[in-house]
Amino acid sequence: MRLLFDRGTIVLHDLPSSLDPSIIPGVLWDPRIAAWRAPGRLAYPLASELRRRDVRLSDRPHPQLSPPTGFQPVALRPYQQAAFDAWHEAGRRGIVVLPTGSGKTRIAFAALAATRTPALCLVPTRALLQQWANELGKYYGGPIGCLGDGQRSLAPITVATFASAYRNMALLGDRFGLLIVDEAHHFGNARHDEALDMAIAPLRLGLTATPPAPGPTLQRLSTLIGPVRFELKISELPEDSLAPFDRITQPLWLEPEEQRTYDDLRTLYRGAFAAFRITHPVAKWDDFIRIAANTDSGRRAIAAWRSCQRLLAFPRCKQQALATWLQRLSDRKTLIFVADNDTAYRVAREHLLMPLTCEIGRRERSVMLEHFRSGKIRALVSAQVLNEGLDVPDADVGIVVAGRGGEREHTQRVGRLLRPSDGKRALVVELVVQQSTEVQNAEKRWSRLVA
Amino acid sequence: MLPESDIPIRLVDNEAHLDFLGAQDDPWLRLLIAEFDRFEGFPRRQLSEALAGPMPRPAPQWKRRAAARILFRLWDRERPQAIQPALLREVLFRCAAQSKAERARVREETAFVLQIPPEQLSRWLFCDLPSERLMKRPTASPSPQVLRQETNLAIAQAALMRAATVSIDLVGNARAIVRLARLRGLLCSVMAQPNHAPPTLSLSGPYALFRHTILYGKALAELLPRLAWCNRYELRAQCRLQGRLRDVFLDQDSPIAPAKEPKPFDSKLEQRLADDLQQHATEWHIIREPEPLTAGKHLIFPDFLFQHRLQPERRVLVELAGFWTPEYLHEKFARLAASNAPNLIVCVDAERACGVQAAHETLRLLPYRGHVDAKALMAKVERLGI
Repeated sequence: MRLLFDRGTIVLHDLPSSLDPSIIPGVLWDPRIAAWRAPGRLAYPLASELRRRDVRLSDRPHPQLSPPTGFQPVALRPYQQAAFDAWHEAGRRGIVVLPTGSGKTRIAFAALAATRTPALCLVPTRALLQQWANELGKYYGGPIGCLGDGQRSLAPITVATFASAYRNMALLGDRFGLLIVDEAHHFGNARHDEALDMAIAPLRLGLTATPPAPGPTLQRLSTLIGPVRFELKISELPEDSLAPFDRITQPLWLEPEEQRTYDDLRTLYRGAFAAFRITHPVAKWDDFIRIAANTDSGRRAIAAWRSCQRLLAFPRCKQQALATWLQRLSDRKTLIFVADNDTAYRVAREHLLMPLTCEIGRRERSVMLEHFRSGKIRALVSAQVLNEGLDVPDADVGIVVAGRGGEREHTQRVGRLLRPSDGKRALVVELVVQQSTEVQNAEKRWSRLVA
Repeated sequence: MLPESDIPIRLVDNEAHLDFLGAQDDPWLRLLIAEFDRFEGFPRRQLSEALAGPMPRPAPQWKRRAAARILFRLWDRERPQAIQPALLREVLFRCAAQSKAERARVREETAFVLQIPPEQLSRWLFCDLPSERLMKRPTASPSPQVLRQETNLAIAQAALMRAATVSIDLVGNARAIVRLARLRGLLCSVMAQPNHAPPTLSLSGPYALFRHTILYGKALAELLPRLAWCNRYELRAQCRLQGRLRDVFLDQDSPIAPAKEPKPFDSKLEQRLADDLQQHATEWHIIREPEPLTAGKHLIFPDFLFQHRLQPERRVLVELAGFWTPEYLHEKFARLAASNAPNLIVCVDAERACGVQAAHETLRLLPYRGHVDAKALMAKVERLGI
């Protein structure tokens, strides 16, 4: 019998008459080709199951690329080593949960070096693609492939964005034996899950600081990558693993006419949402947005909500407070977090600070990050790009002007500042407009971070 | 492509009806085009903000958003000749970081160093970034009719981008659709229907067996403009819209602009083979894209029919296969044998075999790498076509 890889799936050929594949979980009859088929992810479990049933396999998928060679030893801190061991002992499948800034990527490099099998590393953004390739180059002397951000090269170790992997896994699925998924919490919700389901790689390592809460998403993630094998919270890390930090929450007040506008807008959309909840008691905010968009009154409510968001993003009080903080902290390396790209460009124009948004190209982003590292520029302003994974080791001040992504975003943002260095003490300044939804949101995200 | 949120649809139970634009929409389309003209030279962001507000004439919200997306696509951006915005940013922000001077002074100094007009500095600073680019009218501004056509095509394609499966009843030019679908990596089953009813094409990808994935949506959407070249079609798709799978129906009356006229050859491979055969097949008529063959319940679409000039009963078909497996070929030959169809030679790309290391050449099978050897093919044709 043979198992053949077919564009992200496994087709079963030359079945012995004694075998009924319908009883093997995950294998389905495909009437389109008159054959049994399974998702690529099941290539190895399926082979084991068939061997267990004494079925002889003359051919089955295995990683097509040659194994990588040329790794330098990767030194791990004790808790990183513990995380690596936990993953290794659990059959080299599963998720490691560590706080942002605690060196998750190192564990990934250790896994690459230890398994010595062709590996595909998946990262969420184009910004992280280059960073991973650069970092990897310090430990690995062989060629590094890149898929995404205009690059299309394949090598025994390849880094790909989630979107590129999703688009290309039909062709790449049988090339690699190890999948490393950075920021693994992005999977499990059906958006790009196919990318993991279509790969034959039996070894899988997921890395995240913010795993999904127990439920269907985590369950799906466990199926695709493996269960959580190791978890450490900020409070459980050794003292020197993350830089200590101070937190300042600065209360601010809208100007009277801004406050009036805000209250009016809020009343409008809250009224519409409350009415909606009467007819749809279990509906969520997303459902409201979708259904409200079909009526004039609903659209007015959505427009009011958007206007509220815009108003809170950068009102006059925040403009003044930001100017004061920037003047006061002019000698420190500062990251400014705003809610959207428009605000990032406004801040950039006003204070002549480099914006780092998803619209800034790869080369310019690298140059500017290098200038930031070397101290040629002292501040960066960003909406989303700095939220996840991007390594900015020297930043020691973060000014949170506004955010959209809730607790997870906040955890990631603060994490940007906590990479340890000698004598470093980070400072997180949060600008919170009083008598607005920001007060409650700020409390919620800090309670999650501390927890 | 339009995002899902901008597809104008009406939902009735499990069906999604695409809300196409018609002639009645031309008045507000004209106003929309005028609004774009008004923002020439302004950042795209400002135009987007203006479009979020009410228009002088009422316009259906989702149709308007869809049409605006198309106009954004058609409009160009202003490119400053004097300097690259990325260089301007690097110099300005580095100067600002190293200078204690007032911000206005830093701007002036930077403009002086870079020899650009100071009043343009702020305007050009981010003008290469998508949301900040300065709008520039296209050489030929679209008419409402053209905008309507383009928008309707985008609406239909956006829905199909979210398709899990598609089936099409097709009359005329079915072969081109089948070929294109296979080139895009789709599985395409063609079922002949009784009583000369149009054949039904079922299209999806290999992985679609396990989930209602929209992974193949792009490939499915690409077929749409080609359908307009068919005499008649009825397309049914299951599309993931607003969180659920919904049925979408399109036919030849849907107002979809046809793609450019299909090229005479689907691929360079086919074109080169046709050219080479001119030299090597002097004793044979070569008929491209012959009528599809019925083999059992299935239809087979060969690429060439070879018919001997002096002995017309000597006929051989040739097909260039995309992805293939030995079982696929075995089944195809078996179907042909069962239906008393003419001989068929299948040329298979040795590098596109699904999990098979090498193709073993047989009388009916010709593996190739890069291009099909016309001489070798003719040798097989001569031996088979007896």
